[in-house]
Amino acid sequence: MNETNPTPPPFPTPPIPPVAPPPSPTSRAPGDAPEDRAPITGPITAIEAILRQPRRVMYQLRQPGSGALMFYLMLIAILCAVIYGVVVGTFAGKEQYWIAPVKIAGGMMVSALICLPSLYIFACLSGSQARLAEIFGLVMGMLMLTTILLIGFAPVAWLFSQSTESVNWMGTLHLVFWFIAAIFGLRFLNTAFSHSQAKSNAGFNTWIVIFMLVVVQMTTALRPIVGPTDTFFPKEKKFFLSYWTDCLRESAERGNR
Amino acid sequence: MQPQPSKLRQRELSVLLRGEVQTLQSWSAQWDTQRLVWQIGVIVAGAGMFGASVGWWRDPLQALYTAIKFPLIILLTATGNAMLNAMLAPLLGLNISFRQSFLAILMSFTISGAILGSFAPVMAFIIWNSPPLSPNAWESAGPYSFITLTFVVIIAFAGIAANLRLLQLLRQLGGGKNVAACVLLAWLAGNLFFGSQLSWVLRPFIGSPALPVQFLRATAFKGSFYETIFHAAVQLLTF
Repeated sequence: MNETNPTPPPFPTPPIPPVAPPPSPTSRAPGDAPEDRAPITGPITAIEAILRQPRRVMYQLRQPGSGALMFYLMLIAILCAVIYGVVVGTFAGKEQYWIAPVKIAGGMMVSALICLPSLYIFACLSGSQARLAEIFGLVMGMLMLTTILLIGFAPVAWLFSQSTESVNWMGTLHLVFWFIAAIFGLRFLNTAFSHSQAKSNAGFNTWIVIFMLVVVQMTTALRPIVGPTDTFFPKEKKFFLSYWTDCLRESAERGNR
Repeated sequence: MQPQPSKLRQRELSVLLRGEVQTLQSWSAQWDTQRLVWQIGVIVAGAGMFGASVGWWRDPLQALYTAIKFPLIILLTATGNAMLNAMLAPLLGLNISFRQSFLAILMSFTISGAILGSFAPVMAFIIWNSPPLSPNAWESAGPYSFITLTFVVIIAFAGIAANLRLLQLLRQLGGGKNVAACVLLAWLAGNLFFGSQLSWVLRPFIGSPALPVQFLRATAFKGSFYETIFHAAVQLLTF
């Protein structure tokens, strides 16, 4: 006779208490997790925090006495922009070794300052509780993240700048790198914006378009950043679309010759 | 510890921009000279900076003139139509006093002023990037049309945002959805009618390089605002 396992008698199972799902990292508000509340004490900590724990930066920017953190964010953003600028300058060499870093770091900061008041107004109109100082800090955080990522692209950019002679190609490549880096920077800003009690993202999205246009126009206003230059500022004022059209036309004519 | 006055005012500006209607209702319940001066200050500074950035394209003197004229239009519209607006509100079913209607409109204009001021750096940047105005009209036609349209788009955005906040306040002041919308439309019609003609009379804001820089044109009372915008749009489309 085969031994069979008898079916265990049914017994009442205790009700399982409903367990709230752990908050997803994207929905968690800055400061919810204990690690967000750890102070950021120096530039290296700031870099680590913005890459690994962006909510920590957002939370710390809301705290009183966040001036030092803002300073670190700004300082690192400028430093990284200068380093990437030197890489950009390696294409043309000579004066561009110092002109390109100055133009990239200066242009980036000026673009941010031009757009800062409108970001504050859009934030308030959307119902955000963020203060002007906090928004300034977040913009600096966005710039820092963008420029850190640009540093990541720097070796690729350097390799291409040593291999090609086409200014248009190099300009496009730098713009693509900047665009990719800016997406991550703006994502940081968007997360901070959505946690500041803003009811709608429409204003922020409009601001992104304004900011991108200002930055792109800044590259035209400060041209040439990639190619060789005789003067610091261009002799002729142009809108970026008109300038790019001219560049493409020249490039096509050169190709036909 | 009392917060610093500048911080207090920045907080008041954010309350205004966020449209916290209960606070705004309490603001409209009484005259507060300090707040009134602050709101006029925001209009003068914000609209003035925006005006200056536009006028700079023609000449620094034109920038000064436009910086004066721009807030002037807003303040003259608010005061010139104050009586009419105060009468229209109860007639359309919203029983509010002259003070409440005037302060509500002034608050909406303060929002416009703040928005215009926030766009002043962007406008200044566009002007800085534009080729200088040429005496030959056709040479500057493209940039001129672009700048005029940008100018109008920013003003329209400021106006829309301010009026949305005004609508919320009117609802809070006791008007139902329909009554508040009717009152707002009536106020808007009156303010647009008066304001657009005022802006036409006080032209130029950018100025033509073929004409001298003047505070007012000799032909101040000829033509209309809408004709200019229409012609600018047509010029841009055919450029």
